[in-house]
Amino acid sequence: MASRYLIAVSIALVVVSLSFAVAYGALGASVPLEGLRSLARAYVTLAYAPWNRTLTVMSPEAVTSIVWDFRGVDTFFETAVLFGAIIGTVTLFRGIKPSARIGEGLSAIARSAAAVTAPMILAVAAAIALHGHLTPGGGFQGGATAAVVALVILVTFSLGYLVSGLSKERALMLRSAGLLGIAAVALIPPILGGIVFQNQAKELSQFSYPAYIGGALTSGSLLFYNLFESLAVAAGLTLTIMLLLSPHEVVEEAVRGEDHERI
Amino acid sequence: MNEFEVSLSLIVLFSLFANTAIALYGVFSKPNLVKKLISMTILSDTANAFAIVIGYRAWPSPEESPVPPVLTNISGGYAAVQELAQRSVDPLPQALVLTAVVIGLAVTIFLASIILHYHRTHGTVEMVVSG
Repeated sequence: MASRYLIAVSIALVVVSLSFAVAYGALGASVPLEGLRSLARAYVTLAYAPWNRTLTVMSPEAVTSIVWDFRGVDTFFETAVLFGAIIGTVTLFRGIKPSARIGEGLSAIARSAAAVTAPMILAVAAAIALHGHLTPGGGFQGGATAAVVALVILVTFSLGYLVSGLSKERALMLRSAGLLGIAAVALIPPILGGIVFQNQAKELSQFSYPAYIGGALTSGSLLFYNLFESLAVAAGLTLTIMLLLSPHEVVEEAVRGEDHERI
Repeated sequence: MNEFEVSLSLIVLFSLFANTAIALYGVFSKPNLVKKLISMTILSDTANAFAIVIGYRAWPSPEESPVPPVLTNISGGYAAVQELAQRSVDPLPQALVLTAVVIGLAVTIFLASIILHYHRTHGTVEMVVSG
């Protein structure tokens, strides 16, 4: 019993001392900061700076500029972690085929409401993803929003209805297409004499994706990265949702089959 | 910063660290895997909120609030960008949190499917009876 009190007291001490330390400047600065750090200032001022063509990203959205240009390689490996987790889920559910038997689903009212709202959610997802270089949003958020459509269809119509339109293999293919698209956009610059993940022209490398297409600001590679990332994230999350919500009997059968193989 | 502002940020930081402590307690001491998963999501959300608090900035003046790091006036030229830099919050923690949230979703799904398999094989989600 005494150890219990000891744990509680030590946890409380850690919480109090850490919060006092950080509030009085243990991070090297006050929280919240008085002004922008110099690095943050550089990101904000260089994100959209047509007068400084060798350093700018040509995107008014500083966060997307960081995600896909200033720290593009970071995002590449973060995407690798994301798809590592998705591949792990798919591997755990190997051999399981989500059944194509179309169930009854919810009531007609719920199904009609879902049929009306699903395209709307999809339109919002596309807007979030494709305007990612102009307004808050981007490929990750757009893709996650699009995956909600699959969840809505799955709950209101049934898993079989979803699988009849988007099978496991097709979702895997869409996800791979998205990832290949990201790789292609990252690798086109070195093929044409630039640097990996290059967007706008730099002092040492003149390759540049077009900042404007038909008069509309596209911020070079940012639009393409957001497009392909949203496709990959939407397909990947839909796939995991589909597998996770597979009926118990289907999974049971697949797991039992594995036991027989082992014997 | 005056004493009032320090005590305000102290309240925010204290609640964040208290959240972290509760989440860690849940991860370490609860034998139920689902409760461990919930504690882990609380921990990651607290870490994200902490990053956002660090990236926030004090109000430039009592009339001007900080703004998101998005340039809304593209045709404003150099002056508009400088004005944004005077009021904008730090965009870097936001960029890190944005990817962390989506990765967190995928990892949560992965852990949930592991727990689901555990339940199918052992008939329970408690850790103590396994083995």
